[in-house]
Amino acid sequence: MKRNKGMIILFLTPAVLMFSIIFLYPIVRTIVMSFFKIDGITDPVAKWQFTGLSNFVRLANTSLFRISMWNLFRIWLIGGIIVMSLALLFAVIITSGIRFKSFFRAVIYLPNIVSAVALATMWLQYVYSPKFGLLKTVFTNLGLTSLAKIQWLDNDHKFAALLLAYCFGMVGYHMLIFASGIERISSDYFEAATLDGANKFNQFRYITMPLLKGVFKTNITMWSVTSVGFFVWSQLFSTVTADTQTITPMVYMYMQIFGAGNSITERNSGLGAAIGVLLSVCVVAVFWLCNHLLRDDDLEF
Amino acid sequence: MAKTKKYREPINWKKELRLAPGYFILLIWISFTFILLGWVLLASFSTTKEIFSNKLLSSGLHFENYVKAWVNSDVAGIFRNSLIYSIISCVLLILICAPAAYVLARFVFPGNKIIQTGFVSAMGVPVVMIVLPLFGIVANMGILNHVMSNAILLIFLYIGINVPYTTIFLMTFFGNLSRAFEEAAAIDGCPPTKTFWLIMLPMAQPGIITVTIFNFINIWNEYFISLIFANSDKLRPIAVGLYSMINSMKYTGDWAGMFAAVVIVFLPTFILYLFLSEKIIAGVTGGGVKG
Amino acid sequence: MRKKVMALVLTSAMAVSLAACGGGGQTAETTAAPAADTATTAPAAGDSQGETAAPAGDGSGLVYWSMWEATEPQGQAIQAAVDKFSADTGISVDLQFKGRTGIREGLQPALDAGTNIDLFDEDIDRVNTTWGQYLMDLEELAKAVDYEASANAGLIAACREVGGGTLKSIPYQPNVFAFFYNQAIFDEAGVTAVPTTWAELDAACAKIKEAGYTPITCDDAYITCMFGYHMSRLVGEPKTEEIVKGGQWDDPSVAATAEAYADFASKGYFSETIASNVWPAGQNQELAMGTAAMYLNGSWLPNEVKDMAGDDFVWGCFSYPALEGGTDGVDAANYGAQVLAINKDSQKAEDAFKLICYITQGEFDKMLSELSIGIPADSNNTEWPALISCVKPVMDSMNTRYPWAAGAEANADMTPIIKENFLKLCGGSIDAQGFVDALKKAGN
Repeated sequence: MKRNKGMIILFLTPAVLMFSIIFLYPIVRTIVMSFFKIDGITDPVAKWQFTGLSNFVRLANTSLFRISMWNLFRIWLIGGIIVMSLALLFAVIITSGIRFKSFFRAVIYLPNIVSAVALATMWLQYVYSPKFGLLKTVFTNLGLTSLAKIQWLDNDHKFAALLLAYCFGMVGYHMLIFASGIERISSDYFEAATLDGANKFNQFRYITMPLLKGVFKTNITMWSVTSVGFFVWSQLFSTVTADTQTITPMVYMYMQIFGAGNSITERNSGLGAAIGVLLSVCVVAVFWLCNHLLRDDDLEF
Repeated sequence: MAKTKKYREPINWKKELRLAPGYFILLIWISFTFILLGWVLLASFSTTKEIFSNKLLSSGLHFENYVKAWVNSDVAGIFRNSLIYSIISCVLLILICAPAAYVLARFVFPGNKIIQTGFVSAMGVPVVMIVLPLFGIVANMGILNHVMSNAILLIFLYIGINVPYTTIFLMTFFGNLSRAFEEAAAIDGCPPTKTFWLIMLPMAQPGIITVTIFNFINIWNEYFISLIFANSDKLRPIAVGLYSMINSMKYTGDWAGMFAAVVIVFLPTFILYLFLSEKIIAGVTGGGVKG
Repeated sequence: MRKKVMALVLTSAMAVSLAACGGGGQTAETTAAPAADTATTAPAAGDSQGETAAPAGDGSGLVYWSMWEATEPQGQAIQAAVDKFSADTGISVDLQFKGRTGIREGLQPALDAGTNIDLFDEDIDRVNTTWGQYLMDLEELAKAVDYEASANAGLIAACREVGGGTLKSIPYQPNVFAFFYNQAIFDEAGVTAVPTTWAELDAACAKIKEAGYTPITCDDAYITCMFGYHMSRLVGEPKTEEIVKGGQWDDPSVAATAEAYADFASKGYFSETIASNVWPAGQNQELAMGTAAMYLNGSWLPNEVKDMAGDDFVWGCFSYPALEGGTDGVDAANYGAQVLAINKDSQKAEDAFKLICYITQGEFDKMLSELSIGIPADSNNTEWPALISCVKPVMDSMNTRYPWAAGAEANADMTPIIKENFLKLCGGSIDAQGFVDALKKAGN
């Protein structure tokens, strides 16, 4: 492998250099900041006040922050299950040899490229409207009056409403990743399996799933990463001030750094940095779990 | 690769019937998508009053919404900006990340795991915490005071932010490629660097296309960095421009105009997307990943 | 221009497709070539832009960061004022419309980094409190041109108050936060005088309900204002803020407020959908459409819903009613303005102040008021836009100034919790005791 040394260095340098400038330095600074009380994010270091772990302690004692972490966890877990199952289902259907495959694929992915601002407005003002909403109309026509009466945006349903709207936009993205993974599995496997009398379900269970482990890992990592940054949707579902059902740590952090809503409230970038640190820890934990639960068996195919 | 495409055969009703549940599920899902997007399209041609009383189009088509949205803002300008940023960033990203991903996926060397872990954790770091420490340095260097240097800075940031994601994504694809190709190339006396550019990179094509499309859309829709670093209105990309258009329409109560702005911004993306999505399918079905 | 854009679209498509389809050994080369092409296009495009924009920080003119969008009426009026200013004085102005979020997030980092910004605008409280350390004292400049002769005295006093005793900002585009109502519904229901006490409001609501309309509606974005106003009427704004910040939910005023609203909820005075109204559903679908009568909102409301309400909609306005045994009367409200301020490091303060006068006085103040259907700042501009002429008596009667939401949102950690539970209270899903308990449970 010695002759590869030059190549390894040459190939890695640009990426690692970019990474150091854009991520490494700011991250280190962020970690340092989490131990200080800082009014403005760009305050010079001289104005920082060292407060030790008190930012973290304060976060743990703030019920709103705990709510935001709980919301994030719900989004990650429930949303993750919904999105992954739908995405996998669609990917399997789409690669099963149906007609108009590219059309279906294109349409399912479509919501992902529409600006979140536009999508959220559609859901909020149209789908969930208690007066003329799509859901109300559909349920009324189906005769399900109790479902039709649901006020989707009241406190009891707001979280479900948010999650549903968000998942709708995300399914296509993960479906593409699954589908391109399935496409790469040689059809020879399936032909051989069919000859051996395996049905579709067993083919899926014993061929597709094991060979998709790597793709699963990618998908879960991507999902976790996007969830952690959950911000725009939350803001759009609660226009000016944050909302207990939709607040996420990113929103809470934004409040700490730039102030909340129309009121002038205390700001503390150190607290925001501490949230950043906590979130990063969560992502690393998820990735570590993925790595251990979905260990690559080094399948060659 | 010479295999002919299979699904061009005449309709096989037995097969289609077996696939019926699949069609059914997909049809429900996409009709919902069409209703949603269709509503926005209709709303963009209605008056604001019609939108909020659920009587879309009851007074005919209102093209003036589009005229207003187009005339009031420099739509062409923000499109141009976003195109320039996205294209340059996407191409450079592949040139930077593909080699790194290949090396990380294929070779065992000290530091490999550390770099991988670093990249993955970087993806989870909320962007706001990265951007603001950087802002101080950049602003002190005076980069933000000139349109040209500011534009280069933006592209640099778009690339930097997406390096970890792109690299990790491509790693999976290189990892799944058979080693037989490299072994064969090595026997033929092809040096590893050349093997990568000539054989492995083209092999990873489906992955490269997919990740480029994701990158393109990410950068195209990027909001936060542009907001902080695009110091002049002349540098605004789509997302910030659209957001400001939407806001001004909202605060003046012109919701029809707002939906028109959304459609104006969405349409070119959509057309470009239709074109690219064809490419994905071609790339994926024509890929040479057969054992 | 369209040709150029098309060309770029095609180039982009080619670049990506080439990068994508290059199945052979040529991949690297074919990818690189279009990249180089586009790279050369980019600087060209950038340059042509650079020439038209006055580069920031070259010391030749003023740099003005505004919270508005260029497309908004306010933005258009300010642009007109700036153009006239430049034409009259020969001083170039680099006017940058940052938008609300843009200026809130971007101004402070930019000022910290020493970016050359001479003047900027935002809400009165944000400018004076959050950005207080960057402001220049304007007393001398104002005195030099006798600015206060034609300015709204109440607002200037408010600016001094939040500026720590001296004038650090100049108000424009004033606003007041009060009950706005549909005169037609009031007439039909036989409500002849605006309510000034809670009992009168109760009676008015009963009549409106009788007439078949929803008396009061609201949206999630403004619901905390009702809580804050009621609290402040009872115990005054400073005490309200103290309660909200210190978590003193045992204070009897909290329970009293909750009971007053629970009472209204049980009488069916609130919109059936109040608990699920996400802005702008309530103001657009209920108030503007004529199904609901009242909404506690800012004087910007008539402008925001004018397209839906139509030309024949007659607006009324009254201050939040006084409460029996309460501290504050109807002369207290959240009123304020956007303000213009000058960077303390600005080298061209006099020019900047002259520009401020252009924007906030005479012709362009009038234009701003007309275009945005807002209140004029210049006291010589006595004619208010018809839609908001009803606000004038309310605005003129103000003596005590509340901050936003009358202190209800002073504790960011509590705002969402107050919001959630107050929506539930108005929607009738919890009672007064449940409201107090929920706040107590959340602590801080």
